[in-house]
Amino acid sequence: MAYPYVSDVEVRIISKYFGDPAHRRIDTYIERGGYKALGKALTLEPEKVTEEVKVSGLRGRGGAGFPTGIKWSFMPKEPTRPHYLLCNADESEPGTFKDRELIRWDPHQLIEGCLIGAYAIRAQHVYIYCRGEFFEVNQILARAVEDAYTKGYAGENILGTGTTIDITVHQGAGAYICGEETGLMSSLEGDRGEPRVKPPFPAAVGVFGMPSTINNVETLAAVPHILMNGGEWYRQWGTEKSPGTKLFCVSGHVQRPGNYELPLGFPLIQLIEDVCGGMRDGNELKAVIPGGSSVPLINSEDARNCALDYEGCVEVGTMLGCASVIVMDHKTDIVKQVRRMVDFYAHESCGQCTPCREGSAWTARILRRIEEGQGTEEDLDTLMEMTEQMVGTTICVLSDSVAAPVQSSIEKFREDYLKLIRTSKQAGAA
Amino acid sequence: MAKFVTLTIDGQKVSVPQGTTILEAARKVGKHVPHYCYHPGMSSPAMCRLCLVEVEGAPKSMPSCVTTVTEDQVVRTDSEQAVGNRQGVLEFYLVNHPLDCPICDMSGECDLQDYVHEEGRVHGRSEEPKRVFGRDDFGGDVLFYGDRCVMCTRCVRFMNEVEQDQRLTVVERGNRSVIDTFFEEGLEGTHWHGNIVDVCPVGALVSKDFLYKARAWDLEHTPSICPSCSQGCNIELHTRDNLIQRIKPRENLEVNGWWMCDYGRHNYGWINRGVRIEDPLVQGLDRATEPMKWRDALDQLLQRVELIGEGIGIKAVATPFASNEDLGALAELVDVLGGGDMVYRSSCTEEEIVLKGFPTLARRKDLAPNTNGAELLGFTRVGDDEARGGLDDIATHDGVLIVLGDRLSDQSEDFGQQAKLFLYLGDEQSPAASNAHFVFPLTTFAEQEGSFTNIAGRVQRFSPALEAPGMARPGWLILGVLTAELNNRDAPRTAAESFFGLANRIEAFAGLTYEDIGDAGAVLNETLVLSES
Amino acid sequence: MSDVPLRNPGWAGNTGEFNLTEEQIRGDDFVGERPLDGGHSSVSGTMPYMLAERNPEADLFQGEYQERLEKILTRYPKKRAALLPVLSMVQELRGHVSPESMDRVAELLDLAPAYVRGVTTFYTMYNKRPVGRHLVQVCTNISCNLCGADEVLEAFLEYTGTELGETSEDGDFTVIEAECLAACGFPTCVQINSRYFENVTLADIPKIVDHLRAQTEKGD
Repeated sequence: MAYPYVSDVEVRIISKYFGDPAHRRIDTYIERGGYKALGKALTLEPEKVTEEVKVSGLRGRGGAGFPTGIKWSFMPKEPTRPHYLLCNADESEPGTFKDRELIRWDPHQLIEGCLIGAYAIRAQHVYIYCRGEFFEVNQILARAVEDAYTKGYAGENILGTGTTIDITVHQGAGAYICGEETGLMSSLEGDRGEPRVKPPFPAAVGVFGMPSTINNVETLAAVPHILMNGGEWYRQWGTEKSPGTKLFCVSGHVQRPGNYELPLGFPLIQLIEDVCGGMRDGNELKAVIPGGSSVPLINSEDARNCALDYEGCVEVGTMLGCASVIVMDHKTDIVKQVRRMVDFYAHESCGQCTPCREGSAWTARILRRIEEGQGTEEDLDTLMEMTEQMVGTTICVLSDSVAAPVQSSIEKFREDYLKLIRTSKQAGAA
Repeated sequence: MAKFVTLTIDGQKVSVPQGTTILEAARKVGKHVPHYCYHPGMSSPAMCRLCLVEVEGAPKSMPSCVTTVTEDQVVRTDSEQAVGNRQGVLEFYLVNHPLDCPICDMSGECDLQDYVHEEGRVHGRSEEPKRVFGRDDFGGDVLFYGDRCVMCTRCVRFMNEVEQDQRLTVVERGNRSVIDTFFEEGLEGTHWHGNIVDVCPVGALVSKDFLYKARAWDLEHTPSICPSCSQGCNIELHTRDNLIQRIKPRENLEVNGWWMCDYGRHNYGWINRGVRIEDPLVQGLDRATEPMKWRDALDQLLQRVELIGEGIGIKAVATPFASNEDLGALAELVDVLGGGDMVYRSSCTEEEIVLKGFPTLARRKDLAPNTNGAELLGFTRVGDDEARGGLDDIATHDGVLIVLGDRLSDQSEDFGQQAKLFLYLGDEQSPAASNAHFVFPLTTFAEQEGSFTNIAGRVQRFSPALEAPGMARPGWLILGVLTAELNNRDAPRTAAESFFGLANRIEAFAGLTYEDIGDAGAVLNETLVLSES
Repeated sequence: MSDVPLRNPGWAGNTGEFNLTEEQIRGDDFVGERPLDGGHSSVSGTMPYMLAERNPEADLFQGEYQERLEKILTRYPKKRAALLPVLSMVQELRGHVSPESMDRVAELLDLAPAYVRGVTTFYTMYNKRPVGRHLVQVCTNISCNLCGADEVLEAFLEYTGTELGETSEDGDFTVIEAECLAACGFPTCVQINSRYFENVTLADIPKIVDHLRAQTEKGD
């Protein structure tokens, strides 16, 4: 069941044991069929494991949506150097809280997924980069990893097959940019978490200069189930291009915020009105961000036409991202919220690329000025043009993420801005 | 055999080795793609985003400093997309960059000024207050104006990768990021930190020595060779009002790359010193010296030489700061007069200071530029490592004594008292030259054309940057005229002719001409590697 | 407090009882404290708690901490990669990372001190100055912001008597804004030292602050 509320329409694959602390104990996990997928995977060729994941159509659940099986197949087949699997548990995207729940309630599922993934890409070492603020989560994960070692599911000669896979939990120190692929690698190497230029791609030159693959927690959590039941089984949910289920993190002005595991393609409006019980206090829906703060806002009309899969969101002018649905009611001050989001990006920018470093701070200052009633209509034009300069001109896409809420809110909620600007005009005239 | 790739840049076809970046390929067709963080001597982080170019078929603009060329690639650096990118990035820089041009040393040679003037927006749109970092003293010769910094991190990467003594780092992140040292540690104890002022594209890192001294557009640049050690770094002397205002390195990948050491960079005060010998001085019967015109002085000298006759021992003391031409002319003169001892003295330190990231470059133990030249031309080293002593025999010599350039600062006033003919050629008066019959004013290397031979046997040319004071002349000219008149020949009229003559006489230099040496120097066939003792 | 039907550890389990230990609060959820020597080397780099007892002059890497450090160093092919766990350990003992600490760490891992400074200042969680006994981090990012996080922040400032980012006079509290803490379904989320307090409303704040003031022992 998802957490903290349960809904009948959920398809509980990876969130089945949310809310059940007993599931953290390895004995309970094994009783319930745990680590069987690992045992099965180890009897197959690594290519076969990758093939199964390819067939399932599992797409990266961290926001990029890149097919996982294909990503794994980029790794060299005959390693001459050590391979690494990196699990991205640095969940910092505003609105997202699924990875925390996944590790809190079902750490062994993740560990099993990591081990299977490492086996598939011929890696001997898995680094789980877990966010620094997650003290409790790290505690739980640490205990689970220790138990996995004790019972012989990790470390040398796993289940007597001769395979060695080590796990190390590496705790971050508070930087959103370390959730970016190459930023994570830089941070893991003990450097400032600054993203690197691609090419070279991680499968060629990754962490410590070795071929590496990085996957999100949710992606790896799905892997044991795919191995156990087959790739085709996973395709029975979701759509052709976006198969499987997804944990949707709903937050904001709904009655029952929380995580819900639903098949991809689920209608957004049904998620808000039925599953989450509709808007709080009987308010009206004004705006939704369906994929975490890095994707464009949509208004209630778009929301009614939005199917929650990678393609469906693009159709209404937004993206699925990491499927963190942030719901805003009609009393929301859009400008304030956009300003807060841009403040976040300005705070978290690593500072390498000029458009992001200067642009994010400048955007935040303009928005603050508008919020305080000192804005003009020219500011809106400046914002649109200047954020356009931030798209596609930087090493990573944090810069694009600044543009998304700003541009979409000015396009869709121009009235909110104009209200504050008229206020300043009135104040000026008075 | 390197594989070559052909691509089109702004309509021009160009063929370059595989692995070349688009930026370097563009340079080959004369296109300068604006950039900050890229530098050929360091790693490329591709973070300034100024070098973005449009590549046909690519989904977004590509950073040309790290994107390698591919066959049949079509690149545009002047398309609307590329120019728009640059305009956008420049606008972002100017959001926080202070309008310091009137008070900034870099004005006139500033990349930001130049690029914005070329392609920037006419008016900036930012109305927000700029972030302020203030001025920071990094220690050594470097001041840091944080507000002006464009965060290209060339300075950080230089200290980290080239000097390999990581003293600088980026502190904080995002808009609050700034370059800083480890608190009080600063740059003390580093030997190459002057280079970070060179690589800084704006006026964020400035030299304390040059602060507020002169405007960039007032300076004349003259190519030269650093005289402070035997490495022979290629440099530029920047002058104004007939004074050297600063020294900058010149690119030469065979010698010093793009770099020079702090010692050499700041060791130019002696070239600017004002108190010089300005006229030829001839000692009269009453031992008082009388200034004369060159022709008269030379006539008197020739008379004296004739009086002395043959068979008298010759002893010559030269300085390794003299050019190949000067030393060659002295060696020839000594030979014509019957041969004799030729010595030089030089300062040496105990340790070399190697630039770890460019190991062919080091501040050598030998602190003179032409020791190798002196040795090849027949001079022997005497004295200690502080360039003192070793002249006891010569001080009491009773024959012909010629001193070229050595200031004799450790010698007593009795020096050369017994010499039948004591000829002193120098830039400054010396008490030890009070017995000289003839004191001739010499130009320094900065006031004449010539060449030095460095520790690796590379002959490199330098040009005059300053006007010589008074009647001072180069050593090769004075001694060349003397030799010619003694031999009834024509004297060399240019340094090139003098060098030509030298190459004909000395086997080590055989066949070499000024044309061969050019801007980058030429290595001698027989390299005399100095023993570092 | 929103009507949360399932177990949500939140703070004091919604019961309002403040004298409970961590174990009692969490019940079945509690997995046990992390050992000081780091336990298994695969997880010795995780730092499970911020000690309430901090001594800026504490000896670094003695005894169990030395064991923990050695275990960490075995997990990475390069020494430099251990920098983040090592800095976390320094902060665990001393409460913040001072220039002297950076120098020690640089020496320990064969790094340049300037490099260590660059890394330390990049990450938000490393305190560059001493902080109060309780570091109150209020998430004001969008999901919590939509549900009144600004008021929660103001209330914390009022009840602790501090300015934003400053430490209170009695040295008990430092209140700062935090970015998204990944508890968006339970607004407003506040992290105090290493503990998450979820579903915090204005009414809870005086009780939380009093409870923390009364704490004299290690444990949060």
